[in-house]
Amino acid sequence: MSDSNLQQPVTTGNWPGTPAAPEVPAPDKRPPGPWKTAWKKFIHNPFAVVGLFILLIFILAAVFANLIAPYDPTRIDLMFANLPPGTDDHLLGTDELGRDIFSRLVHSSRISLTVGFAVAFVSVVVGTLIGAISGYFGGWIDTIFMRFVDVMYSIPSLFLNILILAIFGSDMTYMILVLAFTSWMGVARLVRGSYLQLREMQYVEAAKAIGVSSWGIIFGHLLRNASAPIIVNATLMVGGAILSESALSYLGLGVQNPDTSWGLMLSNAQEFMLIDPLQALYPGLCILIVVLAVNFIGDGIRDGLDPKKTTIPRRRLDQWRKKYSKSGT
Amino acid sequence: MIHAAPGGPTQIFLAPGLSPEAGEIQAHNLGLDRPIPEQYIKWLGNFLQGDLGKTFKNNIPVGDLLWPTVGNTMVLMGAAWLVSLLIAIPWGIYNSTREYGLSDQTASFISYLGFAMPTFWFGIILQQFFAMKLDLLPLSDMWTMGEEGNLSDLFLHLVLPVTVLSITFLAAYVKYSRASMLEVLNQDYIRTARAKGLKERKVVFRHALRNALIPIITILGLDLPILVGGAALTESVFNWPGMGRLFVEMAVSREYSVLMSITLVVSVMVVIGNLIADILYAIVDPRVQFGQGGSAS
Repeated sequence: MSDSNLQQPVTTGNWPGTPAAPEVPAPDKRPPGPWKTAWKKFIHNPFAVVGLFILLIFILAAVFANLIAPYDPTRIDLMFANLPPGTDDHLLGTDELGRDIFSRLVHSSRISLTVGFAVAFVSVVVGTLIGAISGYFGGWIDTIFMRFVDVMYSIPSLFLNILILAIFGSDMTYMILVLAFTSWMGVARLVRGSYLQLREMQYVEAAKAIGVSSWGIIFGHLLRNASAPIIVNATLMVGGAILSESALSYLGLGVQNPDTSWGLMLSNAQEFMLIDPLQALYPGLCILIVVLAVNFIGDGIRDGLDPKKTTIPRRRLDQWRKKYSKSGT
Repeated sequence: MIHAAPGGPTQIFLAPGLSPEAGEIQAHNLGLDRPIPEQYIKWLGNFLQGDLGKTFKNNIPVGDLLWPTVGNTMVLMGAAWLVSLLIAIPWGIYNSTREYGLSDQTASFISYLGFAMPTFWFGIILQQFFAMKLDLLPLSDMWTMGEEGNLSDLFLHLVLPVTVLSITFLAAYVKYSRASMLEVLNQDYIRTARAKGLKERKVVFRHALRNALIPIITILGLDLPILVGGAALTESVFNWPGMGRLFVEMAVSREYSVLMSITLVVSVMVVIGNLIADILYAIVDPRVQFGQGGSAS
């Protein structure tokens, strides 16, 4: 806390006739809000910062893919197929059609990251909407939505993804919608839970009393208070979506040639595993690193928003506790 | 509770070059010009009598395709399930008694990797290393040619896919069992048990474990769909002749009758999984009794 402001006297509260109130030193600075505290905790969490840094690198690579990639990722050159890493300016070699692997990796990050963020965004919007409505109104609306959520949960989502994509054909937009369709339920349950709690708050009653509409309460008043777990969930969902995208593309139901994604590169690489075993390594590593980074960020945000978590690791806290309890007795 | 996929088989596959009239005749023969609810009810009726219909393309009875793969998937899933549980629960218990120790840190490291890793990629890497470089284990498939029925051959083929499948589950289950044990170990009756002077072994296994198992069982029941879904990818990587791979293949060639049958079988398995979880509750927790509506949820 800031000690510099403690000397400032309080000037209000001196009504004529009443004896001057004892000068209560009140800090004129508000304590840092939850977001600021969260940010402070976040930047003190080494894993989260490293994750953010790595994710930023990948995002930059995706945005400036045209400038970074030394070759056109679709350029086929059969004369230089299956080059080992490091030959002829091909940093990671070439694949079975002579396409530069590094360029393909960089361009793949575009699609993989786009799908990841888009799926997280769409499913969070849908999940929040459904969760908020069923949590706030309750009753039969709640029953219908929640039974639907149960149904969606009981079907293996990968099967459903495969089924829908096989019927409607694979296109990036479809894939985003399909993946979002099978992953919004977690958010819906979460939001419903917090809305069930929040709608009993007094400020909701006050808002109702001054005539705010239900929608105004749902989006104006309650959404801010329910947003912390939503944000955490959205972050973790990005990683899951990237993984699902790669799985679908690997099965041949996602991104199609000549576009590239990490999953598609993996399924290519598996076919030519006997010739060039290293090809399978790079795209998988990219997926692993990005998803790990996203998950670290999500954990960082969660710990930051959780008032029970301190910036001090619990292990060290336990050590201190042990040390001082020993010296005390 | 049975949710059959509403895969309306209205889009028939025609060989390119066939006239629309030929397509209509074909559709009529297959009964595809009927209204969808009628088709569905007819299909469901046949299903209950054990007739799953035939594939559009080769006219193979779906049952002949499906039932062998169900068994194969069960072998793979069961093995992976067993391995991950046998490792995860003791490990989780151990970690809960030594919080933030070396073994606990290792487990959380593995779980981070397990959550972030594409399982099929892990499978490919294992294939390259153990099957191609070291030549220790078979690359893919369920049996070596001509060795069908030989159990040791099956075992060798199981090692890699089971490793891949169990790593992902291991990560989650170690975390769950550790968390649930920790919660129980902080309860008052554990302190009482310790205060009575019981051995730590007895406290952990007799008093804590029984109560910690309840949430673990719930999660096991809920995880079954994920296990079946995850098997689809692993089966594809290792060319395992299971249900998941069949599903992917049939989805690409749009054999709706096969897809619907698989979906139904999977749904039934999910229901059975939940049922088993409920029964296990009653065994682990004597407070849960059947017949008192809703107490076992």
